[in-house]
Parts: sequence; C-alpha cells; structure tokens
Amino acid sequence: MDMQASTPAPAVSLVIGSGSVKCAAAIGVVKALSAAGIGIERVVGCSAGAIFGAVVALGYSADEAASAAARLWTRELTGRRDTLGLLRVLLPRLLRFDAASFGLRDDTRIRASLREFFGERCIEDTPIPLHITATDFANGELVELDRGSIAQAIRASLSLPFAFRPVSLDGRLLVDGYLADPLPVSVAIKHGARVIVAVGFESPFQERVDSAGRYAFQISSIASNNLLKARFAFHGIAHHAELITIIPEFRQRVRLFDTAQIPYVIDEGERAALEQLPYLRALLQADAAAVGAGAA
Amino acid sequence: MNITATPQGPVTVVAIDGSVDSLNAEQLTQALTEHLAAGCRQLVVDLAAVPYTSTAGLRALLAAVKDSRRLGGDLRLAAAQASVERVLSLSGFTGIIKTYRGVTEAVASFAPGG
Repeated sequence: MDMQASTPAPAVSLVIGSGSVKCAAAIGVVKALSAAGIGIERVVGCSAGAIFGAVVALGYSADEAASAAARLWTRELTGRRDTLGLLRVLLPRLLRFDAASFGLRDDTRIRASLREFFGERCIEDTPIPLHITATDFANGELVELDRGSIAQAIRASLSLPFAFRPVSLDGRLLVDGYLADPLPVSVAIKHGARVIVAVGFESPFQERVDSAGRYAFQISSIASNNLLKARFAFHGIAHHAELITIIPEFRQRVRLFDTAQIPYVIDEGERAALEQLPYLRALLQADAAAVGAGAA
Repeated sequence: MNITATPQGPVTVVAIDGSVDSLNAEQLTQALTEHLAAGCRQLVVDLAAVPYTSTAGLRALLAAVKDSRRLGGDLRLAAAQASVERVLSLSGFTGIIKTYRGVTEAVASFAPGG
C-alpha cells in the first residue's frame, strides 16, 4: 500500500477579510504557504477579500492573481456617479426611494469587470471549496454563498453601503459581507476547519473629515473595527479551532484603490506569513499525528 | 517555550520565552495553575520574549485570568511586543486584562493605590 497516497498533504483553511486593496496580501500568504508545501483546503472571502478568495479557489498562480487583482480593483470601477441614486436621496417620495436599487455609485463597470473575469464560473465548481459572505439587509445575518455565479456572489459581497446598490439573490437582499463580519472565520469553523489562517485588516480611519462621504466612511470604520474585534474575540476564545492571524503591517499607507501598491501589499503578506511558517509546520505535523492516532 | 517565575514581593513575575500556541498552551496553563495553587495570586506575565501568541495561547491566558480573579487576585500582562499587542487588541484582551509597557509598572500596579 502506498503510504504517501493515504497521508493527506498538510493544508489549512484560508479566510480573507474585508480590506479593499490590502486583501491582495492574501496572494503573498498563499505564495508563502505553497512554497512551504502547505495546501489550502477551503477559502472564505468577504467583500474585497471575496475577489482574492475566488482567485485562490480557482487555482491561479500568485502572478496571475496579482495581475487579476490589478484589473479587477481599480478606481474607475467606482468613478461614475449614479445620478438617480443621488436624486432619490434628495427627493425620496417623488422618485420612490427603494433600498433594492439605492447606491450613489454606478455599478455597471464593476459588474461588467467581474463578469468579464469570472465569466459563468460557479462557486461549486472551484477546485478548492469557496465560500463568499454577504449580509442579509433585512436582518443583518451573515449569508454564506456557496453555490451559483462567482461574479454575482462577489458583487453581493462588495455591496458597500451607500456606494453600491444591494444585490437581490434567492429572495434576499444582500449587502456587503463586512457588515455581518469583517473576518468571517465562523464559516471555516462551521465546516470543520481545525487550522485556520485568517488574513484580516482593520478599516483605516480618515485623516480628515471634510465631507459627508468621509464622515460616512469614518462611522463605518468605527463600527466595522469594533465588530471585527468582537467577532474575532468570540470565535478565537470560544472555539477550539486554531486561528492563526496574519495582520500584515503596512509601513506605507495603502489607500482604497492604490492598485500600484499591489506588489508591495503582496510582499508584506508573504513576509507576515513567513513569520508564522515554523509554527504552522509544527502545528500541522501535530494535527496530522493526532488525526492518525484517532484513526488507528 | 520556557517559563520562569520570579517573586517580586507579593507579586510573581512569570516570564515566557518563545511563542505561545496550541502546541504548548497546556504547559503555560499548567505553570500558571501551579502558581495559583501555591498561593501566588498576583501574577504578572512578562511577554517581552514572546514573538507570537495564537488563539490557543490566548485561551490559556484567559483561563488563568479568570482563576486568579476568582481567588481574589489578578493576572496582568507586561511588555508585549507589537505583534502580540495586535493580537491582544484584536481579541479584545486589552479591554478586559490590564496591560503595561514594562514589568516594573505591572508589578507596581498591584501596590495599594497602584
């Protein structure tokens, strides 16, 4: 009997939280894991993390993923106003304000861009199991999308409040995944993950608040950072899955659409992951031994 | 991971050398439990030589904090490196456990009025 074939390769579940272009750090993390012979058995992605999660789950190389990220995450995606959306804020009764179609930015380009890149590919067809998270607008619950169009699921996960209109899917109105949990490790835990590598980011606070838009971003950052800590604390302490947090430290400021910084962000993700590798290797060895002992 | 304990008056300083993770969290739990059982209820955990702590390490620390408070004492953290401080903050520990820049301040915090 081939013992090699019966011993599963070491693998972790990867959770990529919300964090705009910073989520590209996950590509560096995957690069470091691959070089060390550590596989990915499941990917969970939230908001912009869903883009990178999908790219990883589809099996793109680090270079391909970096190039995809630069194409998918650009300022042009949000550059155009949705004038009707703005008018509906000012004249809600006259123009019939409707949550399902409310967004101040035109999402045509982002939808087209996601569709162009991911085509008709479905979540259930990815080589590595993929879960994309969004939030149910009606009750705030975390919604796990694990079937259907990747492009549509990512668009739902990326429904940044006020900026992009929500997405109607299977009878639910979905908004950005970060509103339910900016780093949804619970999804990996629910699927039985024992070792979870969680790549998370706190939302940046505004350097100055001189517009209603910046004011809204500041409020959103305060709420989402507190939510990130509360959820992470609960899952880290209450569950017995091992959470290895990778929070890359960016010495350079990385802005929302700093796509030029993607190579730097990837390098920082790789560097942060390399720091964890000795422990991760030892942990996976111990985990494999425990599983082997349990099976014997 | 190495653990050494040094009494400083009524306070016991427990210094950890190395990462705290699921492979050795039990060792930390055992060491802290032994100190508490021996009557050392005012503990300072010196994290200066800890480059990383995983959630298993956090669970071990939290259990010892609860035990020490149940016994009328406390466990306080000192000298955490930036990487450990980030995990402590992300996990909400800085909101429920007293943390200090250095061991001296942490020990002094146990003095009346400290």
